[in-house]
Amino acid sequence: MRRLLRWYGAHPLHLLTMLGSFALAGYAAAQLLSLDVFGVAVWFAGAVIAHDLLLVPLYTLADRSAAAVFRHLPPKLPAVQWINYLRVPVVLSGLLLLIWFPLILRLPTGFQASTTLSLNPYLWHWLAVTGALFLLSAAALALRLRRGSRRKTP
Amino acid sequence: MRFRIPGRPRRFFHGLIRRTRLAAKSGLSAVSGLVAKSRMAGPPPGPFRQSFWRSPIRGPWLTSVFGVMLLATMPVMFVTGLLSYAAYNPDLSPVNDTTPGKGLLGFYLFSWPTHPVWLYRLNQGTHVTLGLILVPILLFKLWSVLPKLFEWPPLRSPAHMLERGSLFLLVGGAGFEFVTGILNIQTWYKFPGSFYPLHFYGAWVFMAGFVVHTGLKLPTMIRALRSRSLIGELRTSLARTRQEPPDAGHLVSPEPAAPTISRRGVLAFAGAGSLLIGLLTVGQATGGPLRRAALLAPHGQDVSGGPREFQVNKTAAEVGITAEQTGAAWRLTVSIAGQAARAPVMLSRADLLRMEQHTASLPIACVEGWSTDDQVWTGVRLRDLARMAGVTRPASALVQSLQNGGAFGQAVLSAGQIMDPDSLLALRVNGADLTPDHGYPARVIGPALPGVHNTKWAASLTFQA
Repeated sequence: MRRLLRWYGAHPLHLLTMLGSFALAGYAAAQLLSLDVFGVAVWFAGAVIAHDLLLVPLYTLADRSAAAVFRHLPPKLPAVQWINYLRVPVVLSGLLLLIWFPLILRLPTGFQASTTLSLNPYLWHWLAVTGALFLLSAAALALRLRRGSRRKTP
Repeated sequence: MRFRIPGRPRRFFHGLIRRTRLAAKSGLSAVSGLVAKSRMAGPPPGPFRQSFWRSPIRGPWLTSVFGVMLLATMPVMFVTGLLSYAAYNPDLSPVNDTTPGKGLLGFYLFSWPTHPVWLYRLNQGTHVTLGLILVPILLFKLWSVLPKLFEWPPLRSPAHMLERGSLFLLVGGAGFEFVTGILNIQTWYKFPGSFYPLHFYGAWVFMAGFVVHTGLKLPTMIRALRSRSLIGELRTSLARTRQEPPDAGHLVSPEPAAPTISRRGVLAFAGAGSLLIGLLTVGQATGGPLRRAALLAPHGQDVSGGPREFQVNKTAAEVGITAEQTGAAWRLTVSIAGQAARAPVMLSRADLLRMEQHTASLPIACVEGWSTDDQVWTGVRLRDLARMAGVTRPASALVQSLQNGGAFGQAVLSAGQIMDPDSLLALRVNGADLTPDHGYPARVIGPALPGVHNTKWAASLTFQA
């Protein structure tokens, strides 16, 4: 028994919890998979893959590229963390797009017929919010730079 | 840019071959063979090496702050979700049951109350709005633990293997639930099957992972949260931001880059995301002045003052309701189930208008999280119609719509829902006849009913004695 547990690598309670969890998940999954085995499996794994192997590398790459590109551009940017003034509006706007892309890109074909609402405004709303975010961010950066330069010149 | 020379590929493969042979000989499992091998060879280049991860602010404290936010809110998501299912009264009749194979998972069901009248509105507004607000928190939490995805060795022991399996349930389940929910509220039905069973069973799979993860990580989380003071962190500027001390979970980078954002900055960043999403969404559930700010909510558009005055989710045209069906020839059939001998009562709209009229102020609240403010409905009480059919204490009532098939063309109401004085077969709303899209000539409206159970274009009421 002790050898078995050493092989397992954790407390017996750990094993018990795990088995309980998988039993519950299996019970629910049996119902889920009876709907459309392939489709559900693809969507479950797809959610993980889309996040871990698509979204994460993309945002990491974008962040590092932005830092690399701007670092080598003349004139040298001042010492404030200007990258956050870029990160914040880009990420917030991206979040909105990530959530609402079906409406923004007008994908749900039956939307107008069932709700009587037009699909047109969402794209413009998203663009307007994005614009406002960048403007706010630019204003905040300008304010910060001005305060910084004032402090330097006595 | 820094590039690292890929380390010791030769030794890696030799080690692999040697170990595999050894494992085969000694009869060890493939898992422990691989485990021992990878310990010897060291991680392959790339994200499997700790030095690949350079964020100076990753660490157990930051992860735990996001963790505790999710720990407090995900159970709310789960419970409001389960309550929403209960609100359909699935046990009352197969007609109401969107997930007929639920088995033991329906253990908690109860008869859905009719008061307070905004109960379903609150439940769904919370479920959907909170879910949207949590998207940034979830993504920041996942970012904070990214190095764990590339742990090396990938499997240390059978226990570790099971744990990573349960993480797949957790992360896959979260992704599945968020994506199906978010697509459903935008009526973009691209998921593989009916939304209800997918979202319901998916939630249980997620919870199986969530409970185990909480149980295993709770001590670590508490320890990490105690390791630094929140107030102290909120006072720490970027210039004074230092790494958290090295941790057993290897979240703290051994080769940190210079910080570009403070820990309080990251918290504010995620918070700003949640706040923005909330602000652009919550108005579709609360109504009032916030509705104007609901620029990206599916039902955020203001339709007041227009011909419909308030939102709908199905139009007469969409479900094939014609003017002939709802014209002078329309009759409501009121009957008692299983009593073929007794002729059903047939009522025209004029007959209904001659009956005692009642007025009730009730909202319409959709499973998708949008709702209307209270509307003033006028019509005949359902319990009066039951009495007219010859039942004083009905057990339930099947309401069928003129609409030709489709989801929710019919619903079964419970005894409590029929007998409530505010449950009406409405003929008018806000002082005018119902419009075709609101269910003319007559529709059900009841307190705290899920939106789709307020059957529009009523054709028949069948009471169960």
